[in-house]
Amino acid sequence: MADWTVDVAVIGAGVIGAATTYFNAKAGASVALIDSGDLAEGTSSKSDGNILVCDKLPGFDCLFAKASQDMFEQLSHELEYPIEWRQKGSLFLMETDEEMEIAKKFCDEMVACGIPMRMMDHKEIKEDEPLLADDLPGGLETACDGSLYPMGLCFGLAFQARKLGAQLLLHRTVTSIDKQDGGFVVHTTNGDIAAKNVVDCAGVWAPVIGRMVGLDIPIQARQGQILVSEQTFQVGRRKVHEFGYLMAKFQTDGYKRPVSEAIERNGVAFVFEPTASNNFLIGSSRRFAGEDISSDIEVMQAIAERAIRFFPIIADIKVIRAYTGVRPFTPDHMPIVSATPVPGFYIAAGHEGDGIGLSPITGKMIADMIAGNELMMDISPLRYSRFTEKAAQ
Amino acid sequence: MSILQNGFPSLEEIRAANGWPSEERFAKGPVAIAECVQEIPCNPCEAACPMHAIQVGNPITNNPHINESLCTGCGMCVAACSGLAIFVVDKSYSDTLGKVSFPFEYLPLPEKGDEVDALDRSGSFVCKGVVTRVLNPARNDHTPVVTIEIPKEHVDEVRTIRRLNAAEPAVFTPVPDAEYIDDDVIVCRCEEVTAGQVRKAVREYAGESVTSIKRRVRCGMGLCQGKTCGKLVTRIIQEETGKKASEIPPATDRPPVRPVTFGALATAGKGEDDNG
Repeated sequence: MADWTVDVAVIGAGVIGAATTYFNAKAGASVALIDSGDLAEGTSSKSDGNILVCDKLPGFDCLFAKASQDMFEQLSHELEYPIEWRQKGSLFLMETDEEMEIAKKFCDEMVACGIPMRMMDHKEIKEDEPLLADDLPGGLETACDGSLYPMGLCFGLAFQARKLGAQLLLHRTVTSIDKQDGGFVVHTTNGDIAAKNVVDCAGVWAPVIGRMVGLDIPIQARQGQILVSEQTFQVGRRKVHEFGYLMAKFQTDGYKRPVSEAIERNGVAFVFEPTASNNFLIGSSRRFAGEDISSDIEVMQAIAERAIRFFPIIADIKVIRAYTGVRPFTPDHMPIVSATPVPGFYIAAGHEGDGIGLSPITGKMIADMIAGNELMMDISPLRYSRFTEKAAQ
Repeated sequence: MSILQNGFPSLEEIRAANGWPSEERFAKGPVAIAECVQEIPCNPCEAACPMHAIQVGNPITNNPHINESLCTGCGMCVAACSGLAIFVVDKSYSDTLGKVSFPFEYLPLPEKGDEVDALDRSGSFVCKGVVTRVLNPARNDHTPVVTIEIPKEHVDEVRTIRRLNAAEPAVFTPVPDAEYIDDDVIVCRCEEVTAGQVRKAVREYAGESVTSIKRRVRCGMGLCQGKTCGKLVTRIIQEETGKKASEIPPATDRPPVRPVTFGALATAGKGEDDNG
């Protein structure tokens, strides 16, 4: 006999699992959210709080992100836990004339997709952010971008789901999953859950859960590090990052930034995010280092060096904390939000660095799939089978 | 000698950082004097002044300057200053007496007519004075403003009075271990998180470890990185959950051990600029 019987068992209590739980509970399903640790204990607590469309590719990628971003205003009213949602836009900075060229083309393509983006010249970016370095040729503004408190979002979604009747089954590790007539039994170190549907929201650890039902999920850990400043005066008023970030994210060939070897080797790109608590976060880095989440001094130094390049005044401000997490990376940089060959088993994972921003639409899509509703957009690019199709070719 | 050596600012430091009213202005009536010489991020005085006479501006770490021709000496800024560093001085009061108004956050409060010991910035006795007014309306938010009259020659020196309750303990006494921490006590000073907020995170938001409480209410996320509040939070979790302290994992330690500037981090170990 199972200890709990539910319509939907969600495995993984990060932001994707919390959103999946919330939207399923909102749709009237009985839901259990299961995790080996606390809410937001893995990647979701090592993140920043950016809700961006500016760093997506033109086409499906940016439209999916925009649809998710458009859900936050309502969520910020719906969730009782404060998520600190602010929509001030974002600013990409270009460092060279070559980057200006690439950005101009990118901007045109994004505008054609309906994204509110515009190029800014040197004078405009200095008026926008007076403390920027003096030698930057220009910027690219995305008016709809915003940020929030990422852990607050996880708590908000999970505790609101609890109000709707969802069970938060934390601090119990899933050990195996049995298929049975009409669903599954999820065995944990502290009780069994019978569920008609199971959603694998375990992020970096999604492959471990997938193997329990015989699925091979191609997600690996891509490490990122962040530095936190002391509480200080306003260095920048909103999210500011370098356009080279896009190139680091997508590993674009053909253009090399004028940067040091340590910056290049560790995929370091400047990202600045002011928080609601008057400090700021400085990122970012991307490298494959297994599941190691200790902060590496070479990466920390490279991140600091890169930040000072864009905001020289940062040199005199103190770092109070460094933290490191692992992003769930897929080979084509797109998440998996999908049914699978195992009926009733769904995957919502692999969002790399975009899980916080993409969580609402991911949760909503999975809830609609389970309820048999029509989806609000075609998400076939996110299907699980795209990897097996490739392998079969 | 500076505030860093003495613990209080010298007249020279105040003049350099904030300016000082002219003798013509003093002759006209009461005027506010800011004695705020350290560059800290703070500007409530700017908003408190109904005459818009106080300017901090950008960055917020600027020292405040008071425009003497706009200032009417109303004293609104005295209670608004969280650093207790603004005073109103009246040299026009009489031929022999002047008045000084200052924030006074010690109980019991003096009463009008009391004879008190007037002290200088260092806390040393200067002269006797008489209380002429004690203002403590709700808008002062528990910062009473006391005005005393003293011989005119001392109004540039006198900035407070001796506390009326002489039986204050000489040293800070920590809360004994067994004592219950009231809900309104701040346990995380950096982020100003109260014991009540920590309890709520345990009771309503499923917090079970120091790190999980930190993520929910920010205690330990400030400048000291939980060095101060970690044990208090552990104790509260212990009381709320009945667990032993050894069963409650401490917060994860993360670099740097002490705050260090981005500049020092970026250049450490990289040549001549390295100071260790």
